[in-house]
Amino acid sequence: MKRYIGIRIVYLLLTLFIITTATFFLMKALPGTPFDEEKLQQLPQEQRQMIYASYGLDKPVGVQYVNYLKNIVKGDLGTSFFYTGQPVKDIIMSRIGPSALIGLQAVLLGLAIGMILGIIAAYRHNSGWDYATMIIAVLGVSVPNFVLAALLQYFVGLKWGLLPVAFWESYPSSILPSIALCVGVIALIARFVRTEMLEVLEQDYVTTAKAKGLGFARIMFQHVIRNSLISVITILGPIVVNLLTGSLVIENIFGIPGIGSLFVDSIKMNDYSTIMGITIFYSAFYVFVMLIVDLLYGLVDPRIRLASGKE
Amino acid sequence: MKRKKVSLLATLLVVSAIFTGCSFSGGDSKGASSGTTGDTGNTAQTASKELRLSVESEIKDLNQWAASDDVSFTVLNNIGEGLYRLDPKNEPQPAMAESSELSEDKLTYTFKLRADAKWSDGSPVTAADFKFAWLREMDPKTGTNGYSFIMTDYIVGAAEYAEGGSADKVGIEAKDDKTLVVHLKQPTPYFLRLTSLAPYFPMKEEFVKSQGESYALSPQNMLFNGPYTLTSVDAASGAVLEKNAGYWDAANVKVDKVDLKVIKEKSTALNAYKAGQLDRVLLQSSDVNASKSDPGFGTGINFRTTYLQFNLKADGVSNINIRKALEYSFDSKLLADQVLNNGSKAATGLIPDQMSATGGKSFREMQGDLITPDAAKAKSYWEQGVKELGKAPKITMLVADTSETKDVATFMQSEFKKNLGIDVAIDTKTAKARGQLMDNSQYQMAITAWGADYDDAMTYLDLWANHTPYRGNYENPKYDKLITDAKKETDEARRIDMLLAAEKILTAEDVVVVPIYFGGYSYLLSDKVEGLDYHPYGNPVDFKYASIK
Repeated sequence: MKRYIGIRIVYLLLTLFIITTATFFLMKALPGTPFDEEKLQQLPQEQRQMIYASYGLDKPVGVQYVNYLKNIVKGDLGTSFFYTGQPVKDIIMSRIGPSALIGLQAVLLGLAIGMILGIIAAYRHNSGWDYATMIIAVLGVSVPNFVLAALLQYFVGLKWGLLPVAFWESYPSSILPSIALCVGVIALIARFVRTEMLEVLEQDYVTTAKAKGLGFARIMFQHVIRNSLISVITILGPIVVNLLTGSLVIENIFGIPGIGSLFVDSIKMNDYSTIMGITIFYSAFYVFVMLIVDLLYGLVDPRIRLASGKE
Repeated sequence: MKRKKVSLLATLLVVSAIFTGCSFSGGDSKGASSGTTGDTGNTAQTASKELRLSVESEIKDLNQWAASDDVSFTVLNNIGEGLYRLDPKNEPQPAMAESSELSEDKLTYTFKLRADAKWSDGSPVTAADFKFAWLREMDPKTGTNGYSFIMTDYIVGAAEYAEGGSADKVGIEAKDDKTLVVHLKQPTPYFLRLTSLAPYFPMKEEFVKSQGESYALSPQNMLFNGPYTLTSVDAASGAVLEKNAGYWDAANVKVDKVDLKVIKEKSTALNAYKAGQLDRVLLQSSDVNASKSDPGFGTGINFRTTYLQFNLKADGVSNINIRKALEYSFDSKLLADQVLNNGSKAATGLIPDQMSATGGKSFREMQGDLITPDAAKAKSYWEQGVKELGKAPKITMLVADTSETKDVATFMQSEFKKNLGIDVAIDTKTAKARGQLMDNSQYQMAITAWGADYDDAMTYLDLWANHTPYRGNYENPKYDKLITDAKKETDEARRIDMLLAAEKILTAEDVVVVPIYFGGYSYLLSDKVEGLDYHPYGNPVDFKYASIK
């Protein structure tokens, strides 16, 4: 087990290195500089060069890359070009909070509701419950979250005045965005759970359990639901990463200072250090979540054993 | 085995829960509050006069030597102050300076600073603070906002200093604590207006040095001399400004607190306005018609002209008749009124509406309309051009990928089709990529815009005297002479005449650029707010003159 995690961490670092390198060179291939070039146009060439030089942008891309890597190893992500002088680490830390909170709430809510709906639909297969659940699921997948966000903002926020229209001021500010984000998750999870559970219900071991005279709850929780969760865990990894790392559209609609809009803006503005910082952060997070997903497999599925023979 | 796994996972869950739990108030570290706690702004607080406004993009930078965007200037202008400040009519009024004297030859300004001009730490604002800040702006190592030209073009010895020369030779003298003398290269009738801009603000050397790298990163690392001080700022969520009790004119500052929120979506801002959480909101064109009957509806103009830039070295458009055909073939009134519908006006020249000229008249009033669309004329110029070239040229229009520019491009494309019967291709690129293609002369014509840095036609006309590909590789000795002569001219009427002639050459004779529209905006303003006037250039707004009923 320890050996397995050790190997995975080595792979994790390797993956990060490759992603960093690729992003760095792709980013440098973007046209333009991080500055307001139209304004700089008005300066003589020599002065423009001096400004570039003071940020080390006059050196060859290869040299810039090596310098960047050196700093990364020291744990220094550099300072932003766009928010002049602000350390990238501070910017990311201040922006990840709102995004993570909304994302986490959306995942937990979506997971809970989605699973309940999925289980009901499967258990009452081909009943009214089933059809109702699946209609919700199809709607949830097909209505874009920004449409839902705008509707929630208009009705719940403005017309009924129940929750804040926008901004990031107190806990209630996070509710509407979380709901807007979680509907997609509900739909996805409900469909997966239903399909998977229907399959599990047909399995021989379920029939055996029934034949043994096990109670309903025991059959459901110990055998059926647990085995249906494997597919949910598979899709849960990417969902968690997606939601916790912010959604540009939802953040903009609700005026939330999240990391989703930061990432898009930094690319638009050629804010090199911020692009790199967020890329590293995203990929590290993704690889980490993937590791957890793999560990979770072993937990829910006895058929999957990770080199655990010695224990 | 199983138990171990469970405990591992449980730990991970707890860790992640703590992580997210903490980060809800993440912005609070280093005092850059993201407004998560307690202060819900819109409730109560009837006693103190509070103004709640929104800005459309992040508060990028509050370092006066690095900031170059309108939102940062909005904040800087209210927490700092230059020698002069624009009044609601956009006229410069003494601010940090009590008075100024101009020498006979119009080349030397002597400013007397106010005795009660103070920094927020209580120390007096001195002439040396101006000298220090101005030199820092000129030095390319510290003044990175691209605005140094706004000093180096005018102040004696400044350009040489910017290229590594001596600071002693720069024409800024701090005679004593309260006397600042500035030597200009040429008479500059709008110099007092320039001193109202953020790059001309003073700053205390001792303070900047003591802050080092962290200068201007948070309110604790800043010093204020304007009508307001900054209480908190978070780039992505907004800023809170509070009345500066030590400000020399504090008696006339009527709003106690300004809550500035960053909202990128106009529809969100409108909802927040309707919910009573904002006092003013900018409208997107689709909301304009529905809002016109609202008593709070209004429009305003920015000194920002959007225009078509021809590359005189490119195929097809190097022919003057082809350029003239394109100039006459579209009706920008239709564009402004029906497509944009946001307060923008059809451009009748390059210099924006309301920009000052001389004798109390605006430049546009003096020049009259340079451009009137005429489909028949356009057609005949086109035929003439095609004859000269031997074949009809293929034309591509380079545009940036903002939604407004794309609308403009599509409109022009349809007008070219309708009036000239030609298919102009649209090449959409990101703003950065468009800029680079233009820099490399790889374009035929491009839609671009220029916002005035100061209230004088020179802020536009000077641009085409630099002969760069970005400005269409334009080089006309007659034009260049007008610009250089205008810079030296001491007689204001004659100077304006030269600029009028230059604009005519640029847009009507040589057709290097075709002005399309003057940027404008529509807004809704709460009936409780008065005197919240926005300036069309430079520092967008002064909260100083606002009041709340």
